[in-house]
Amino acid sequence: MSHSIGWIDRLRIERLVWSLDQQLYDLPRRSRISTRREVRENLLTAARDIGTSAALRNVGSSTRLAREYLAAQFGDQLRPSWTVAALFLLIGQLVFTALLGEAALAFGDGIRAADPAVSGTFRWHGIRYLQDTVTYTFVDGSGTSVGGAWTPLAWALWIGATIVVGRLWRVVPMWRHRHDSPGR
Amino acid sequence: MPPTHDPQLLKGVLTLVLLQLLAEHESYGYEVVQRLHGAGLADVMEGTVYPALTRLEREGRVTARLVSSNAGPARKYYRPTPAGLAALAVGTANWASLVEIVGAVLQRPLPTEPIEGT
Repeated sequence: MSHSIGWIDRLRIERLVWSLDQQLYDLPRRSRISTRREVRENLLTAARDIGTSAALRNVGSSTRLAREYLAAQFGDQLRPSWTVAALFLLIGQLVFTALLGEAALAFGDGIRAADPAVSGTFRWHGIRYLQDTVTYTFVDGSGTSVGGAWTPLAWALWIGATIVVGRLWRVVPMWRHRHDSPGR
Repeated sequence: MPPTHDPQLLKGVLTLVLLQLLAEHESYGYEVVQRLHGAGLADVMEGTVYPALTRLEREGRVTARLVSSNAGPARKYYRPTPAGLAALAVGTANWASLVEIVGAVLQRPLPTEPIEGT
């Protein structure tokens, strides 16, 4: 018996496909698109055959399906998460820059609070080990500042934390595995 | 009601069954599921079969091609590669050997009570 597919059925199928797609960002782009298309096509065929509810029930949750697809692509070995690493790289940069910026601003505000008409040059050595010296130059209470950049240690911590959060060290065994199995 | 099967046992032989079905007839994902159900494996779900086909493709045991469909978007049809057919031959021989050994063990008559160890 053939079931007709209305727009609500299409939406339900697209919801699962979209949800699956969101969990497959670690796949190569081509493979992710191909998987998305194939799952959608199979779901539509199944929905015409047995109905949308049964088709969605039979395919299971998007989480489980994504896990199976990732295991199919990368094997059962532990793998890095490029998505998490990229997110941390971006958010870490924003948060850390905001933190150091606020610390430097607080120093400038402190000088102005002590003397609203201050003139002169003031140095703040920054957050120890993480930030370069910040130099404030005030003329009649109006100031400009230079410095306050990340130190090499701050950059190293940022990169190191990204590797830890994204479990990027797992790239090495994956790379070795790929080169030991040229057919794959 | 069709009999249910141990999922772990099924998972172990699913690759073999898929290769056999695809060697008989080139098929797309949902068609493979229907053929599995038709063969009596009604508890094998789509969510298991589709990734298994992807795994076989990644391993170079099946190859896929897109065929346009009247009912909607193009379908991805799978067929075994020579490596897949070789794996099927080896797997079938291993399975037959295993069935013979396990079958012989399970066919032995049981004593009325387990014999105590000495």
